[in-house]
Amino acid sequence: MALQNKKKIEPEQNWIVQQYNRLSLKQRRTVMGYIFIMPFILGFLFWFLIPALVAGNLTLQKWNLISPPRYIGFDNFEKLLSDPILGQSLKVTLIFSSISVPIGLVFAFFLAMLINTKVPGIAVFRTIYFLPSIVPAVANAILWAWLFNTEFGLINFIIRALGGPKIGWLQDPGWVMVAFVILTIWGVGGSMIIFLAGLQGIPEIYYEAAEIDGAGRWAKLRYVTLPVMSPIIFFNLVIGFINSFQIFVSALLITNGGPQNSTLFLVLYIYRTAFQSQNMGYAAVLSWLLFFILMILSFIVFKYIGSRVYYENPGD
Amino acid sequence: MSISRRDFLKMAGSSAAAMTMLTNMGLSPTMAQDVVNIAFGGWGGVAEDEGVKEAIAVFMEENSGIAIDWQHTPDAGEYSRITLTNIAAGTAPDTSFIRADDYETLAVNGVLMDLTDLIENDPLLGQEDYFIQPQETNRSAVNGRWYGIGSTWVAHHIYYNADIFEAAGITPPGFQDDEIWAWDEFLEICNELTMDSAGRHPDDSGFDPDDIQQYAIDWPMGWWMPLTAAVFSNDGQIFDEDGLIVLDSDQAMEAMQRVADLIFVQHVAPRSASLQSLGMNNTQMIDTGRLAMGIDGSWALSWMNPTELSVNMGTGALPKMVRPATALQAHFHSVLSSTEHPEEAWEWVRFLATPFYQEHFSKIGLWTPNQTAMLTEEGLKGWITEGIHPDNYSQWATDYLPAHGVAVSLPPGWIEANNDYIQPAIDAIANGERAVDVFPDAVANANEVLIASKG
Repeated sequence: MALQNKKKIEPEQNWIVQQYNRLSLKQRRTVMGYIFIMPFILGFLFWFLIPALVAGNLTLQKWNLISPPRYIGFDNFEKLLSDPILGQSLKVTLIFSSISVPIGLVFAFFLAMLINTKVPGIAVFRTIYFLPSIVPAVANAILWAWLFNTEFGLINFIIRALGGPKIGWLQDPGWVMVAFVILTIWGVGGSMIIFLAGLQGIPEIYYEAAEIDGAGRWAKLRYVTLPVMSPIIFFNLVIGFINSFQIFVSALLITNGGPQNSTLFLVLYIYRTAFQSQNMGYAAVLSWLLFFILMILSFIVFKYIGSRVYYENPGD
Repeated sequence: MSISRRDFLKMAGSSAAAMTMLTNMGLSPTMAQDVVNIAFGGWGGVAEDEGVKEAIAVFMEENSGIAIDWQHTPDAGEYSRITLTNIAAGTAPDTSFIRADDYETLAVNGVLMDLTDLIENDPLLGQEDYFIQPQETNRSAVNGRWYGIGSTWVAHHIYYNADIFEAAGITPPGFQDDEIWAWDEFLEICNELTMDSAGRHPDDSGFDPDDIQQYAIDWPMGWWMPLTAAVFSNDGQIFDEDGLIVLDSDQAMEAMQRVADLIFVQHVAPRSASLQSLGMNNTQMIDTGRLAMGIDGSWALSWMNPTELSVNMGTGALPKMVRPATALQAHFHSVLSSTEHPEEAWEWVRFLATPFYQEHFSKIGLWTPNQTAMLTEEGLKGWITEGIHPDNYSQWATDYLPAHGVAVSLPPGWIEANNDYIQPAIDAIANGERAVDVFPDAVANANEVLIASKG
């Protein structure tokens, strides 16, 4: 057959392999290393770096998606400084973040400690506490919209049955933030599992040593558990801040930024500016603003809290 | 013969690549050369999806050289976003639903094809009173030219629980002029129909507003359309001749305040949930006897009808303040200027404006005709359906809408102005604040956005 008569090229005759064979062992290892990380590098380039640079270019343009973009210099940045809606958006995002992250952390840690016991059937509880965090975002939104319904929601029903007032959870600008914090905390299953893993990694000998020194439960928590867990707490804190700043799906589906823009979180505002107000240039500026805010926030957290983290095995 | 695995993989890969390339170039043997493909984008629930598919089947039977490719998205807002992105990427569909909010913006930016001459010269559509006028021209004409054909009319009216009215001995509202309530009469009736768990009415002493068992009326305040119906009824307007918002006029604010007062002053209306209606909405409230009257768009008839509800129901007009009025709007069917097949695209859009398409959706209660041919005795028989349309519904279409329906046309920049300023102001009065405190500033800010969008 024709395929059998085809001249077979030996690997050593392939020119790529010939070049490769010329390298020293160390160089070959470097090349292989780069090949293995290529998928990530390409992904980073195509789905982060290049779009970010294009967005950077877009900040200097006015583009409404249906006509060609045109350059307007720094007008979008000027708008940034005088936009009252942006002020409102930043305010509600910061408030939400600063309330939900600490409460979520404490709650997740507390839950992790609760389920870190060797009680029969504990796996059931672990599953129950973890499940809320994997509920799809849209189902989550529908669920909480029902629960928080002013007239007929289950939560108001229980409150009224206990003699309390009818709370406009999703209609009062004051209460809606509480509602969002509640629904965010309901989903702390993810951080809880990470805390659990950390708790289970604490060597027993530390606790035994502490007991010998006369430590009670609180002392053990303060002097053994918390310090050894501090890298994980720190990790969850940073991730928690970054995620809470980017809350979007719940805000879009449950309240659509209302009432009176009290849940107009920053990512929702960017989405609206880009696709509803059709102002892609200004939305690009807002996106870069979000990036810088998160960078600065992370820097602050790393500097002031990161330095207090106790690492068991400090790096080289 | 045996081939090595490597060679086999090379052959398989290259032939798959070749097939993909050929298909994309349209030369694969399964595609006929002479059929024109028209992409048609739109949104809607299951009913609309099925209706469009039926219409496509009928159209393609009659026009064998045109194939319609239906691109469906469930949500209207999302569809807007998807279309915008497609337009930016150059992959826009040939024809599309166009939301009333986007219509003028897209027309002014040259995205939609000018259909004026095609419509005027069409033997069917070009007839002088083919559409209900002047409403049709009011909404379709942008600088005197038409860039789309309105699909239908939809507007708000009252859906009521007939059993509650019968038990209370009150005559429910209707669509004839003598059946439309004046505002004071409406307030009295609402008072009669609202009861707390002890059976007291709002004007009885000891009435507990936190413990209301049956509400008289639900007037939605989650978006502008039901509120502007009240504004029109009080002789107000949304926009003036220059296209700027005038919701801060005395009549407009008085109208909106009266609606908000139903909740906070007269205690006859519940604080309804947010716009998306995620959660118990007026349909369930009417069905369970918690609500006597719910105001919703005429499209809601497709689920709030005698067949679907477990209670006896009926429909009637909104109460009037100075005069009867309701706000009219609907989406358009347009051809996009980027299409490569304008003639075939026009054939399809034209088909959607013929009675067949509109009849289908009017039958299920989703649409009310904007074509006068469907309002004659003969025409009505084509879509009034027993079990969907209450007995007086033909009067809604033939008498009430043409006389009292006010067409709404939304200028460029409206979406942003509404999101940022108008809707928050509506939220504020739905929360108990006074219209005179919030609307003047909101309207001023909103108008700045509209002016900036004209540039």
